[in-house]
Amino acid sequence: MMPIWTKSGEKHAVTLLKVQDCHVLRYVSKEESGGKTAKLLVGGKNVSPFSKPESAHEIFKEAGVPRKQKVTTFNVTDDAIIKPGTPLYAAHFRPGQFVDVTAKTVGKGFQGVVKRWGFKGQPASHGQTKTHRRPGAISTNKAAKVYRGKKMPGKMGNIYRTSFGLKVWRINTKHDIIYVNGSVPGHTNCLVKVKDSKLPTYKDCNKNPPFPTFFADGDEELPEDLFDEEIFQFTDPSVTFA
Amino acid sequence: RVSSDGKPPKFQPPPKPVIIDRKTQKEERRFLSPEFIPPRGRTDPLKYYIERKDMIQRRKVFNIPEFYVGSVLAVTTADPHASDKSKRFVGICIHRGGKGLGATFVLRNVIEDQGVEICYELYSPRIQAIEVLKLEKRLDENLMYLRDALPEYSTFDVNMKPVPRMDHEEIPVNKLQVRMKPKPWSKRWERPKYNIKGIKFELPEHKMKAAQKWSQPWLEFDMLREYDTSKIEEKIRKELSEELEK
Repeated sequence: MMPIWTKSGEKHAVTLLKVQDCHVLRYVSKEESGGKTAKLLVGGKNVSPFSKPESAHEIFKEAGVPRKQKVTTFNVTDDAIIKPGTPLYAAHFRPGQFVDVTAKTVGKGFQGVVKRWGFKGQPASHGQTKTHRRPGAISTNKAAKVYRGKKMPGKMGNIYRTSFGLKVWRINTKHDIIYVNGSVPGHTNCLVKVKDSKLPTYKDCNKNPPFPTFFADGDEELPEDLFDEEIFQFTDPSVTFA
Repeated sequence: RVSSDGKPPKFQPPPKPVIIDRKTQKEERRFLSPEFIPPRGRTDPLKYYIERKDMIQRRKVFNIPEFYVGSVLAVTTADPHASDKSKRFVGICIHRGGKGLGATFVLRNVIEDQGVEICYELYSPRIQAIEVLKLEKRLDENLMYLRDALPEYSTFDVNMKPVPRMDHEEIPVNKLQVRMKPKPWSKRWERPKYNIKGIKFELPEHKMKAAQKWSQPWLEFDMLREYDTSKIEEKIRKELSEELEK
């Protein structure tokens, strides 16, 4: 995470996400998948092919791509279908866009009810016998049972969670890095899924995104760094208020 | 000398001149700002490389001078609410923290009997100028104890003139021992964990001995805490000098 300053001098914290060897693996049509839209399977970071059996390598062989650590699905409209085997770059996103980021949260292991669910626990003194961080009562007398989903101690973290509506401040096309506002679930160097935001406030935010994606062998020549309009670039002199 | 044979003496070549290259000796003592050194961790070095590029970019446009904890600085920042749209603060640097673009330094001064500390970010675009009025080092890396010292040690004249200094001189170390206000202090500075050398402790002997109870003499031999930054520093120095010359 890194600080970023706007032209008015305000500071925002920014998370750096690297797009590492992303390729489209397979196209699944609407009828085949049984959903409302077609799906595209996309694979992430490259990993050695020797730790999985040959049967698991079929998808990657069809696309002509080394084995990926993570395969995710994206629901895609029919006009945004991409041929399997095309690489995806950070330039697919542009500064000023809003984005949702999904990842597995940091695993905390088996945790008690105070940390996991935020229960208040019991007082430290005044006669409490061996009861300081326990859940207390778990149900009523009339119910005569414990309801399903009762908050109790258990394994905490290591589940998929999403941060919605994060602004993209800057894109580095040379190293394929996306600078996303705020924090993102997951530990350092974990795998993360970045999608266009589904929030209704940001529905009309993408002015001219590269559609269906940014092709590296195309005609467009992008500069090494793409900045949002409000970012203070370090090539400018210091901020002054007129 | 006359040899016993009567022949002329054997030719003695003159002693080879020893060349002391003053330039290389000077370069050994180059200053690397502490926020360039990446902390120990599992982050990708690419992140630090990209952050350093941004820091170098900022340093090309705005001059961040060399300074240490204990030097007196004057910082002018932009402020939308001030009458001149800029504020100037003079103070002694008591702490330098943070790594990368978020590096900060805290300046302390006593203005009209009120102690004031301001934490500035080195790479913030609001800072318009940083002048070093007095470049010197102190016995400690962290001067937070000045909060509990007598106020005369933290007062600096707001209209102080910069102390002139030659380029090749070594940075002077001020071996000042500061006198403290009576206890209680904000932190127990006599304890060995803070390892403070710049305070003149006027506490009774038994209290100083009792403070040594919290010493952890095994810490300096702990090999897992060792972080040798010499090679990293060399690489970063090379990178910096190349980029700044461009």
